[in-house]
Amino acid sequence: MNSFNSKRIPNIMAVIIIIMLGAGLKIVVDYSLTVDKEAGYLWAQKIFYYHVPSAWTAFLGYFIVMIAGVQFLRTGNRKWDQIGVASAEFGTFFCLLVLITGPIWGQAAWGQPWTWEPRLLTTLILFLLYIGYFMLRQFGGHYERVARNSAVLGIIAFLDVPIVYLSLKFWSADTQAHPQLGMSEQSSLVLNVFFFNLATFTLLFIYMVWYRIHILKLKQKQLELTHGL
Amino acid sequence: MFTALLKKDLLIELRSKEIVISMASFGVSVILLYSFSFNESPKTFSIFASGLLWMVFLFISVLGLHRSFSLEKEFDAIGLVLSAPVNRSLIFLSKWVSGFLFLLMAQIIIVPLFWLFLALDIPSQIGLWLLVFIMADLGIAAVGSLVAGITLRARMSEVLLPILLFPLVSPLLIAAVKSTDALMVGLPFEEWKVWGAIIFTFVIAFSVTGVLIFDYVSEE
Repeated sequence: MNSFNSKRIPNIMAVIIIIMLGAGLKIVVDYSLTVDKEAGYLWAQKIFYYHVPSAWTAFLGYFIVMIAGVQFLRTGNRKWDQIGVASAEFGTFFCLLVLITGPIWGQAAWGQPWTWEPRLLTTLILFLLYIGYFMLRQFGGHYERVARNSAVLGIIAFLDVPIVYLSLKFWSADTQAHPQLGMSEQSSLVLNVFFFNLATFTLLFIYMVWYRIHILKLKQKQLELTHGL
Repeated sequence: MFTALLKKDLLIELRSKEIVISMASFGVSVILLYSFSFNESPKTFSIFASGLLWMVFLFISVLGLHRSFSLEKEFDAIGLVLSAPVNRSLIFLSKWVSGFLFLLMAQIIIVPLFWLFLALDIPSQIGLWLLVFIMADLGIAAVGSLVAGITLRARMSEVLLPILLFPLVSPLLIAAVKSTDALMVGLPFEEWKVWGAIIFTFVIAFSVTGVLIFDYVSEE
């Protein structure tokens, strides 16, 4: 198996992502409009160009975990388990970014870092669930069983999301609302910057998962060689 | 076959009584600690009574589920059940129903004592109240049996079970607490029907998932 960096496409992709991340940062800091000009939290608003793409990527990751789980249970192909683990790991990484950037904005906008806001809370619950997911993978026993059980867990975890979100929405109906401007009300500059960062994060996520799967495959190969499986 | 599996769980429990007794006594001692730590008037206490009550039920259901599934590990009983030509969905259904019954039995002991110790008012709509308990118990038992099945053979299963169960069950807990709250104040069903709907959705979602997916959980 070739080294990951000796392939052409990942290298090109890495360069593109680095350029996009740098350009994105420059645009967000220097040129992007903020959503609300009257309020005092003009600058803090800019974190949304990172907060929302992180959230999108995290949920994309968990969605892929579910799909990979279904596929693994159906086919029993190890490839799907590797895709599932890699997506779960980076989904959780972006989940953590959401949980960090959310309170930073909250401190500036609401004067307190944490409010019981449904979306932030749903993310926290998913984050906790996935801590359990990794513990299960760690302590689950032999490979086949771990792969199967974590596939099942990935499916139930994602099924739980809409119920969690709905119940939290009714539960905290009176807490401060999440800023929710309709897409059409935004100026085109805001949208362009936002979608640019969304694309960057999605590409970054794909690259990371790809790299991780490569490492998992190498690990499996090493196991096969040492144990003569 | 389902009745045989269920009968097995219930018979073991009837002979040893270990699950329900341990659930109930743990629950009662937690309530005792509650009344020590919140030395409040019943009026103040009734504001958060339902939340505390459902916390107790979650804790004891972890106890019960863990015990009920680790019984299967002794002498590899589950291995024998699995090697029998049984539809695995039935194993889930029997564990679900027995888990539900154990929880209900423990509640029958705990709830009156809770009301007695903390001198709360008895809610007027007893029928609806029972329905909320039964539905929420079904939900806890469904997702609990599924998670207990997943963690059954893992190391540290006694730690993994609550770590996975609590986040999963959080919408059910919110809905159960809210509807118990509403019933204690005597609100009409119209006012809290959304919580009833969430409990119902939860029970349906996780029982159907359990039946469909337990085959893979228990596979060797």
